[in-house]
Amino acid sequence: MLCPPLGRVAAATAWPLAFACAAAWLGAAPPGRALGPTSQVDLRGVSVGDAPEPRPTARQRLAWEVRKRTSVQTRLEPTATRFDDPSIFATPFLYWSGDRAFRPLRPAELSGLRRFIELGGFLLIDDAGSDAFDASIRRALARAFPSRPLRPLPSDHVIYHSFYLIDRPVGRVLGPDHMEAITRAGRVAVLYTRQDLGGAWARDNLGTWTYSVVPGGSGQREMAIRLGVNIVMYALCLDYKDDQVHAPFIMRRLGARP
Amino acid sequence: MQTTTDWTFTLGAPHPLWTVSAVVVAAALLLALAFVEGRRLRPRRRVGLVLLRVATLLLAALVVLQPTWTRERLEHLSGRVAVLLDASRSMTIDGPGGRERRAQARKLAQRWAGEATPTAVSVYTVGDRLEPTTLAALAGAYPADEDASRLAWAVHKLVSEDEAGDLGAIVVVSDGADPALDAHDGVLSDAGSVALGVRVHTVAIGAGGALKDDAIADVQVDPIAFLRQDATAHVTLRSIGGAGARRVPVTLTHDGSVVRREDVDLPADGEASVDLRFTPARVGRALYRLSIPVEPGDAVPANNEHAFLVRVERDKTRVLLVSGEPSWDERFLRAFLKSDPSIELISFFILRTANDLPMAPASELALIPFPTDELFREYLGTFDLVIFQNFDHRPYRITPYLPRIRDYVRRGGAFAMIGGDGSFGSGGYGGTPIADILPVRMPSGKTAASDLVDDAPFSPRVVDDLSRHPLLALLPDPRLNAALWRSLAPLIGVNRVARPRAGAQVLLQDPNARAIDGGPAPVVAVGEAGQGRALAVMTDTTWRWGMTSGGEGADPSSYARFWDHAVRWLTRDPSFDPAQLTTDRERYGIGAAVQVDGLLRDGAYRPIAGAAIALTIEGAKGHVVGSTVAQTDGDGRVHAQMTAPTTAGGYEVVARREGAEAALASVGFIVETGGRELADPRPHPERLEALSKATGGHFYPTPESAPALGAFDATRVRSLGVVDVAPFAAWWVLVAAAVLFGVEWWLRRRWGRR
Repeated sequence: MLCPPLGRVAAATAWPLAFACAAAWLGAAPPGRALGPTSQVDLRGVSVGDAPEPRPTARQRLAWEVRKRTSVQTRLEPTATRFDDPSIFATPFLYWSGDRAFRPLRPAELSGLRRFIELGGFLLIDDAGSDAFDASIRRALARAFPSRPLRPLPSDHVIYHSFYLIDRPVGRVLGPDHMEAITRAGRVAVLYTRQDLGGAWARDNLGTWTYSVVPGGSGQREMAIRLGVNIVMYALCLDYKDDQVHAPFIMRRLGARP
Repeated sequence: MQTTTDWTFTLGAPHPLWTVSAVVVAAALLLALAFVEGRRLRPRRRVGLVLLRVATLLLAALVVLQPTWTRERLEHLSGRVAVLLDASRSMTIDGPGGRERRAQARKLAQRWAGEATPTAVSVYTVGDRLEPTTLAALAGAYPADEDASRLAWAVHKLVSEDEAGDLGAIVVVSDGADPALDAHDGVLSDAGSVALGVRVHTVAIGAGGALKDDAIADVQVDPIAFLRQDATAHVTLRSIGGAGARRVPVTLTHDGSVVRREDVDLPADGEASVDLRFTPARVGRALYRLSIPVEPGDAVPANNEHAFLVRVERDKTRVLLVSGEPSWDERFLRAFLKSDPSIELISFFILRTANDLPMAPASELALIPFPTDELFREYLGTFDLVIFQNFDHRPYRITPYLPRIRDYVRRGGAFAMIGGDGSFGSGGYGGTPIADILPVRMPSGKTAASDLVDDAPFSPRVVDDLSRHPLLALLPDPRLNAALWRSLAPLIGVNRVARPRAGAQVLLQDPNARAIDGGPAPVVAVGEAGQGRALAVMTDTTWRWGMTSGGEGADPSSYARFWDHAVRWLTRDPSFDPAQLTTDRERYGIGAAVQVDGLLRDGAYRPIAGAAIALTIEGAKGHVVGSTVAQTDGDGRVHAQMTAPTTAGGYEVVARREGAEAALASVGFIVETGGRELADPRPHPERLEALSKATGGHFYPTPESAPALGAFDATRVRSLGVVDVAPFAAWWVLVAAAVLFGVEWWLRRRWGRR
């Protein structure tokens, strides 16, 4: 099936709007081999202080799910860094998860965080279920971006339809019905979730889910994984799914859902 | 000298007609009332009262209307005669008997030159200018090289500049080819002729003969057109005295190639129009030429051609970005393209392949199909640039469209392939039509997949000879630019390709990796493909020139600059042409000074310094009408002043190395005149006749019918004074009317009437 708006828009107005389509072609794609590790998407972890990563297998599992479900070539052994590490600029995606309070960011860390965002980086912050972590995060972000506070992400944001059609954010816990974000130059640069996404993704080497999801069961975990896929897809494609040509497809499918 | 007196009668007070009518009606009513009131009086008394009423009303009417007699004394003088002889190009057209019109005028000048005239005579030629001359000079050589016949303007100028006041008459000898005479521009309208005050006698030249001419009578075209969008030239053809109705081909050419040809049904002695569509393919100044065939016996072959200039601008740069998978390279390129308001981005990303398992029905996915046919068949030509970024064409049934993409580029489009495991040899492009346009050769199909990529990090090496190429010249200063390239973060991984095609330019190399067939591995290469351009970027990590370099302290804008320059070079931004030529204006008058400036560089963007450059002005079919030689300075800049040709039309200034055939650069310009003198070669005696009639002069339909120069009425009339006589503009008239009214009233009362 062809893309109806393309023909209609082009014929009527000679491409008045920029638009785009995603491909869902069912041809036989060869297995990918990127031009080296840097070409693979590294869901890189970042931490502050000595606090351990609360869901250490979460990023690895998300990388695996993204590779399995989409055309994105992810690095199956994600790396980790720190905000004051010069290598922070080697890849534009950082995942910061926590379940406890942490010390204030040092000047070098603040500088690294700010520079990372200025240069186009994307930071996903995942609250693993601690009010103390939430307070620390808000304090850190307020220091790093005093003129750009966290704001609720509207429910029609492109993150909710960058790959899957998603109604609301869910993770290991249901949490608030929205995510929060800091935007820069029209894009979400920092995304903050309080649903413990990593808790829903985490899985041990034997294939057992590490944490139970509350309250929803397997459907809730699947939606958490889908949200993770959407977030990675947004980090890679930005507002691609907001291009004009996608709108009628997405609206039709949203309207057809129960 | 003779003196006469002229009387005129007017009403002194400026009453409108309804006021005068009201006064007459009121007087009649009052008179009728006088009759009615006097019916019972004795006849003598009744007659007396009526007479008193009549006298009263008459005096009252005279007071109101104020009749005035104006007496003007006029002096009739013999004035100077100004003779205007048409020297425009239309006088070169053959008149009756196959003789040029100017031959008729010249013969008349010879006749008048041999006469003794009792009055003073001033002689001028008139065309675009008014030039004093003598009949003797015109009798010897009659010029006809002016590009307009500004007769109305010349008449007005002679009258308005007659400071001595001795101009008695103007004699115009012309074919009447001045449309302003039709326009009633105020000078020669009925009202204007009164103010003119000078008789204009006219002698028609060229009237009565058979004229045969086909002409491009008019061309309407917007001066600005947009790249790759249709523009239209509305062309009007005119046939005079032709061989009946027939079909005439109208040809539009650009850069020596036929852009469009349309047949037009041209009636005998009539006009026909046609719209010619054309689609500019280059930004900048574009010179187009229109032509129709010249039939045997055509009176004016010059009007069978017409040139026009169009300034071609880019509405928006339309870029199609097809990416085989989401990646950081795709993400930063999309962000850059979206951030540029001059770019209209259409992007298609493969988010899922057949091997992927999204674990959801289609209704829960935000995915839509890939409109391959519309993109690569219907609308391919609307894009300025097509980018394949790590896109393997094979799984998506794109292969049948690859010849179209090749042809699109060869016709003037642009194509870029960016590296990844779905690009170049890894994407199966070897031996495809895409390989024909890329600047690098594809490895053979026998090459092992593992040999097609090298994933080692490297700092690309700028090829020295090409460091001035726009894709590499990110900073204007060569030293700073070299330092900038050294400061950028290393790239990681290259697609290994074979050596570049002939004529291609490798701009960046991987100093460590080898090309498939030896030599340093190309990283960035550019080349021409037919009329279009192609870029090959054999890596998928140029995004590191932005984010990673910025994090390491280098200038992060290098990434955006590189791609900005790449897009502009690929889409032939004129500022990125290696050799550029401009003129200080787009349109010139005949013989005007043309200032030519140029920046001349070779294909590697190195200045052509200290070289002798031949600059030629070339008309249709490369006909050289002017030339000069200038020397370039150390930066390859050249300056010269040339002279515009003496014939209206479209021309190009072409720069070549002295003695060389190949053109380095060219720029078009137009030489134009104030009017389209030869567009309508017909004589217009009716215009001349109307001019004479409007000014009280005489019209002579042929030069043979014109009288001796001294026989033209050149009498000037000068007023010696005006006297107004208004006998009823006095107080006693009003008093007399009041007294008569009082006497009538007193008698009526005395005789028993009220």
